[in-house]
Amino acid sequence: MSGHRIFCFSGGCTGYNPGPYRVQSGIVQGTISLPHRIPNFPVTRQNADLSELTNFFQTTDLMIKDLEQIQQDALAAIATIDNETSLEEQRVGFLGKKGRLTAASAGMRNVPKEEKPAVGQKLNEVRTAITAALEAKNAEMIAARDAKQFDSIDVTLPGRPIPQGGLHPLTQVQHEAITILRRIGFSLADGPEIETPWHCFDALNTPEEHPARNESDTFYFEDGKLLRTHTSSVQIQTMLKNPPPIRIIAPGSAFRRDEIDATHLPVFTQLEGLYVDTDVTLADLKGTLEHFFHEMFGPTTDVRFRPHFFPFTEPSFEVDLKLQVKGKSDKWIEIAGCGIVDPNVFLEVDGKRKKPAYNPEEISGFAFGMGIERLAMIKYQIFDIRHLIDNDVRFLSQFA
Amino acid sequence: MKVSLKWLSDHVDFSDYSMEQLDELLTFAGIEVEEITNLPDKVVVAEILSAEKIPQTDKLAVCQVNDGSGKNRQIVCGAQNYKVGDKVPLALPGCKLDDGKGGHFEIKNGKLKGFDSLGMMCGASEIGLEDESDGLLILPKELEPGTAITEVYPAVLVLEITPNRPDCLSHLGTARELAALVGKKLKGVRDHANSETPTRKAKKDEITIESESCPYYTGRWIRGIEVKESPSWLKEKLVSIGLRPINNVVDITNYVLMEMGQPLHAFDLAKLDGGITVRQATAGEEFKALDGETYQLSADDMVIADSKKAVAVGGVMGGEDSGVTETTTDILLESAYFVPADVRRTSRTSGIRSDSSYRFERGVDPQQVKGASDLAVKLILELAGGKAGEELVECGKLPALPKPIKMKGEFCRKVIGTDIPDEKVEEILTSLGIHPSKKGWEVPSYRGGDLLRPVDLVEEVARVYGLDNVPSKNIARFVESSKADHSYDFNRKIQTTLSAIGFFETRNLKLMSGENLDDDRATNHRGMEPIRLKHPLNDEQDYLRPGLVPGLLASAGRNLRFGNPNLRLFEIGKVFTKTKKGDSVENEHLAVLMTGARNQPSWADAKPANLDIHDLRTALTAIMGAKGSQLTFVPLEDDRLLGACSVELGRGKKSAKLGIAGYLPPSRGRDLDIETPIAVAELNLKKLAAALSEPVVFEELPKFPGSSRDIAMVVPNDLPNESIASFFANYQEPLLIEANLFDVFRDETGEKLDADKKSVAWSLLYRCPTRTLESAEVEQAHDKLLKTLQKDLPVEFR
Repeated sequence: MSGHRIFCFSGGCTGYNPGPYRVQSGIVQGTISLPHRIPNFPVTRQNADLSELTNFFQTTDLMIKDLEQIQQDALAAIATIDNETSLEEQRVGFLGKKGRLTAASAGMRNVPKEEKPAVGQKLNEVRTAITAALEAKNAEMIAARDAKQFDSIDVTLPGRPIPQGGLHPLTQVQHEAITILRRIGFSLADGPEIETPWHCFDALNTPEEHPARNESDTFYFEDGKLLRTHTSSVQIQTMLKNPPPIRIIAPGSAFRRDEIDATHLPVFTQLEGLYVDTDVTLADLKGTLEHFFHEMFGPTTDVRFRPHFFPFTEPSFEVDLKLQVKGKSDKWIEIAGCGIVDPNVFLEVDGKRKKPAYNPEEISGFAFGMGIERLAMIKYQIFDIRHLIDNDVRFLSQFA
Repeated sequence: MKVSLKWLSDHVDFSDYSMEQLDELLTFAGIEVEEITNLPDKVVVAEILSAEKIPQTDKLAVCQVNDGSGKNRQIVCGAQNYKVGDKVPLALPGCKLDDGKGGHFEIKNGKLKGFDSLGMMCGASEIGLEDESDGLLILPKELEPGTAITEVYPAVLVLEITPNRPDCLSHLGTARELAALVGKKLKGVRDHANSETPTRKAKKDEITIESESCPYYTGRWIRGIEVKESPSWLKEKLVSIGLRPINNVVDITNYVLMEMGQPLHAFDLAKLDGGITVRQATAGEEFKALDGETYQLSADDMVIADSKKAVAVGGVMGGEDSGVTETTTDILLESAYFVPADVRRTSRTSGIRSDSSYRFERGVDPQQVKGASDLAVKLILELAGGKAGEELVECGKLPALPKPIKMKGEFCRKVIGTDIPDEKVEEILTSLGIHPSKKGWEVPSYRGGDLLRPVDLVEEVARVYGLDNVPSKNIARFVESSKADHSYDFNRKIQTTLSAIGFFETRNLKLMSGENLDDDRATNHRGMEPIRLKHPLNDEQDYLRPGLVPGLLASAGRNLRFGNPNLRLFEIGKVFTKTKKGDSVENEHLAVLMTGARNQPSWADAKPANLDIHDLRTALTAIMGAKGSQLTFVPLEDDRLLGACSVELGRGKKSAKLGIAGYLPPSRGRDLDIETPIAVAELNLKKLAAALSEPVVFEELPKFPGSSRDIAMVVPNDLPNESIASFFANYQEPLLIEANLFDVFRDETGEKLDADKKSVAWSLLYRCPTRTLESAEVEQAHDKLLKTLQKDLPVEFR
């Protein structure tokens, strides 16, 4: 529409500063632009005679000039406002019942009917501009007030304390171990910690005179029962209750008659594993434990299986991990015992079951066991096992 | 067991193996190498040629020594136990010796009191032969000056032999195993086990066996011997593995023990009354052993006796009075086979342990009884002279040879899970002396105790084949979750909730001191009793814990000493009690303990209030999750705790009683320097799990607004809040949705409110699920409630 401006102002008839409305107003354009039809110019006026047109121009011009002055004054006044009271004063002064714009709008009465839409539109524009300026000012002042509220905050103060808690590192390591083994299809099992010698020794193919049975190594009770010396008794408990296949892990306490020192506790935690099915082999055992230790200590951890002896497995192995600590030479350390379930264990279990289900000719299994304290001590480089029973919150909070 | 590498080389040459290779070889044979003791380099045998005291010093002397170099070497020495002509270890400059603190120090040329000292003469501990020693180590005279000490005392391996391998409890046995693993041949000494000495049955007055613990006993009479110091080769051998030389006869029996693994015993014939009887001891029979102790024997023990008294505990230890001494001239040499389990029992019950019992209880090779006797006799005649009886006198019968084992390669492959060909199986077994025959695999007698079943042979194949060569199989299987899974997950949720709201999880020993049983104050055992151990280690750990609070309290006490006074602790774990009849019961409990300030003092709250039982209730509420609003504390008559409450879920008859909460007596806290109130609670986890087991079912959210009414009332101080709470909980009004206590006011001065009264304010919410309530309806319901409340409880509305 810019092409029409030439017509509009070349007549010199307005004297107005050819300000912003050159582009805004179709009315002005329309009044002169004979070659063009302006959509909002009354059709009846399109062919009006010139005197009428001049008259129309004078009234409209004055009104518009007045409105523009009001807007100019209002914006200037609003710009200087610095508090809410004067903001309200200015609002009332321009937009209130007795305000300037309100008063000016009374002049609409004198505007010829045909021009009313055009002047009305201008009036709206001015009102909108003033309202917008007031709102902007208001928002600016609120923002300034909000900002001021936060100005005084020392954001570098320490956080407001809430009590810190945490799980015991043994629990954390145990949970990690359980999670790894659950993921590869082991479910949990448990059994009593006060056991019969049969569950703890006989059923596990431990000879009558085995040193582990000595009262110097094992806690007994007057009634002949004992505190289980390993969680392997859970193997027996589980097989007595369930037929194969068995795929369980059993975390729990074990008890040995050791005085407390940096590496011994009379009560410690073991994680037992047992897998019994028709076709379990050493290869399964190896794959399972390698996976476990790689998950637990990282995929590059070296694991080795060293032949060993346990009464309840045959063949038996001890598992070593290569411990790598910065500044120290690598060292193989013993971490677990394992093996293929000895046929005598199945025979003992079947002898006690109402319905035999563990014929060693038909089934096979592997078992493993490891100390949770040892896992934790390796993982966190804790060199004194007593930290694990002191429950010093300075210690515990390091694992929170 | 200590094995000398030099001694081992009597049987098989391992000079082409490094120490690391041997270590690995043994490790993967299933023999753990606990320690390798290597003597330091640059230590040589030196002869002291002269020694002159340095004036004005207490001990120092300037010595000239022959270090084998051809030139004399000057050493300043402070030891006192040598004389000129002695041979001693000399550490040359550059030698690194243990400083006894895990590090090393280097010998350097130096000056002492103005005299050059070009090395150091050493004691046994300084070169690592013994843990402690005094003065210089005086070496055998025969040694050539300049000989490296590592030649005199080569490396010693400390091996852990598993109980199934008694055949390795000797130098010959270890050599045999190692040779098999690397395919080397044993040197000729293998014939030890064969005997060419004629045997004859014992006459009744010579040897009789009355005990089943001894299947076979032999004796050899040797007369006219001279008991004296052993020659240095023999002493050196014994010293190298940590044995103390005594005299030639005793040393020879010890040598044969360590060489072949066969324990022998020599009796002084002059001290025996009549022939030998192998019999059971009489109950209470006293026996004075050669360790100087007197032992009381039981009828289960087997003794070697003469006509009057026990002269040895069979296979375990000889008697003090019948042993060989310098004055002995005639001896009876015993070589026998005893039943392993019986020796083990005797050793265990009598408390006597020896190298002999250690081997017998694991099982010695019965086939070497005669050969070992022969070897000892040969050496005695060589080193002590005398004349041995023509025949070996025997009594009883040797146990049968091991039975052949039928095992197919297929079985090996099935157990191991990889394709080991039959040829490989045979190669491995044959190398271990296990040969195939028509009857199966023939097991050598020294493995007879261990190799009985097909799976025992699989173990041999597996360990030699090595798990390194077995592929790793990774096949998982579907499993159903178990009850243990469910309770683990339940406990886990509680653990994470409590740790998230600021509690540290503790893990206390399940053993505790009987003296602290009194701390078990938050449990209700209903006639059950705590369980005491039969043989506790000490009185700090003589009971199984009947509750968790004692352990938590002990942890709190320790923390206070460590400087941590503000504590939120919990523990989950088993507790143990027994019935009057003695049946033990294991329950899983949860206990929480809170004491100290609610928070660390900070800029935000310089003086935080102390934790109290209401904080404890918050924690328990958190555990209950969505059911937290149903948690109730019902005051309880229980003088073990102050403010004792029964912790329940729900109200009235249907409530689940979960445990007990309250304050520990402050006096007990003060014992542990805890000055702040200690609130505790202990819950039974099984009951808790049951109470929370109902599955969650979504309840439609309210669609219509509710209307609330506040009640302010004055009630007697001693009216527990629970009375009011349960009034609202039980009040039958379908429109009443909830009631919340929002204010409690008391004025101890009595100014604003009578001191024996309290003002409480409750907010009640009325709502109908199907429509918006009219104000009048609410008023009507509320008025009715107020009237009932006033009737039921001593309240005045304000």
